[in-house]
Amino acid sequence: MLSAEVLKLKRSQVWAVVVVLPLVMSALGVVNTAASGTGLAEGWDTLWLRTAVFFGLFPLALGVAVLASLVWRPEHRGGNWTALMSGPVSSARIVVAKTAVVAGLGIAMLAVQLAAVWVLGAAFFGLDGALPPRYLVVAAVTAAAVIPLAALQSLLSMVMRSFAAPIGVALVGAGLAVVLMTAKVHAAIAVLPYALATRAGQLASGAFGDSGALTAGSVAAVLVATVVLGGVVTAIAVRVLDRRDVVTA
Amino acid sequence: MTTETRSVHSVRLEPGAATLLRNEIAKCRHLRIGLVTALLAVGIVGLTLVGTLAGASTDGDLTAALPLAGLSLAVPVASPVILAILASRAVDIEHQGGGWLLGRTTGVAPGRLCRAKLGVLAAAVAVGTGGASVVVALLTRALGATGPVPVSLWLGYTVAAIVVSLVVLAVQVLISARIDNQLIPLGVGIVGTVVAIAASAFPSWAAHLTPWGYWSLIAAADYAGESVVTLQPSYVSVVALALLATAGVVVATRRLDRQEV
Repeated sequence: MLSAEVLKLKRSQVWAVVVVLPLVMSALGVVNTAASGTGLAEGWDTLWLRTAVFFGLFPLALGVAVLASLVWRPEHRGGNWTALMSGPVSSARIVVAKTAVVAGLGIAMLAVQLAAVWVLGAAFFGLDGALPPRYLVVAAVTAAAVIPLAALQSLLSMVMRSFAAPIGVALVGAGLAVVLMTAKVHAAIAVLPYALATRAGQLASGAFGDSGALTAGSVAAVLVATVVLGGVVTAIAVRVLDRRDVVTA
Repeated sequence: MTTETRSVHSVRLEPGAATLLRNEIAKCRHLRIGLVTALLAVGIVGLTLVGTLAGASTDGDLTAALPLAGLSLAVPVASPVILAILASRAVDIEHQGGGWLLGRTTGVAPGRLCRAKLGVLAAAVAVGTGGASVVVALLTRALGATGPVPVSLWLGYTVAAIVVSLVVLAVQVLISARIDNQLIPLGVGIVGTVVAIAASAFPSWAAHLTPWGYWSLIAAADYAGESVVTLQPSYVSVVALALLATAGVVVATRRLDRQEV
């Protein structure tokens, strides 16, 4: 199933999202640093805030949304939906395979983003030492938190034939998440995958209501929410697909 | 017995402009373009309020220029992706449903179809962006802003912002029509957001290079240290952009008219 899904992505220009989006956002961090006139006052911390934390605000949700639309697009073309509905593959396998591909690509996007921050900090800005280890932990936790987001966007792209509509939902969700995090409503991570991904990216940043310290409690809260939300959204997606039928036109 | 002669009139097969627009309006209603436009307006108003409240002094003093600065930042942040979504939704149905071929067989060439879509979407975007600006102006009054509200500047900014939005919309419609894979126009919209946000840090000549940069050229207010000052939008640049874009749309849609579907 997974290899079939990966095969469908050939020539879909998926690399443009996985590679170009994080690089462009990292470049924006450089522009912001140049425009601020103060440089990287707090070293790696300032760079992380202007690149990785900003990436988690809305580009991450939009990127995952675009990836999900790309992954589901072939199924909405021609008679492919009918083929999907009449095939011998169970709904659970389809949903899990699609979610796994979207999540895998989303995590690859985060890896490119992390590498870009590292290179910018060490080579471009000449910051002392390596990227602090706590940010590697944050990156790993964010990678996990992408899974429920991928499951939700996969569900939306499954039920919406339009390429753009799920991306619009992601934009609203990301905006809502930023407002909730700014208002320190961290409990939203338990119900809103956009808030979960945003909160994960803000861990140890000291911004948007974060304490600035990477605590076991905050990491555990994100991971527990990841497992619960991921399971719930995937189960909903399987149930929805079970009840779908062939469509005409 | 008289012989009746029946004159044979030439029958016009292709739909007229009014019919074409009615068709596009019907498609837009089906595609919930109104909802997406409302999202644009709510996004602009919401971001403006967040920026205004964050920038208001702790003693609650609110100058009229502060919401204008918030509006000048909210429009370029909220608009690019939503304009890309509007354009993509309106055009993608033609890719998915064989609409280009259907249009061609009924005498509507792709370029003409794009112009009709652009006309309907432009009206929606103008209402959404203009409406958001009016709501922010009314809220500024209601919140009891100190100092006079710069009406002419506000009006000038609103018109200029609508013009820039329409140019970006035209670019998005043309890209969505030209490229079947909607990843590209949506990606352009996301990168456009980055350009729009970063353009305020660009030198003026660099901001002139892309349509997204023009939102920074028309900013009506901005922070100067701790205080907010009003700015003079670059109306000449916007007029030049509008003329260039109009010519570009005419040329591009005529090329689409001659393109095989």
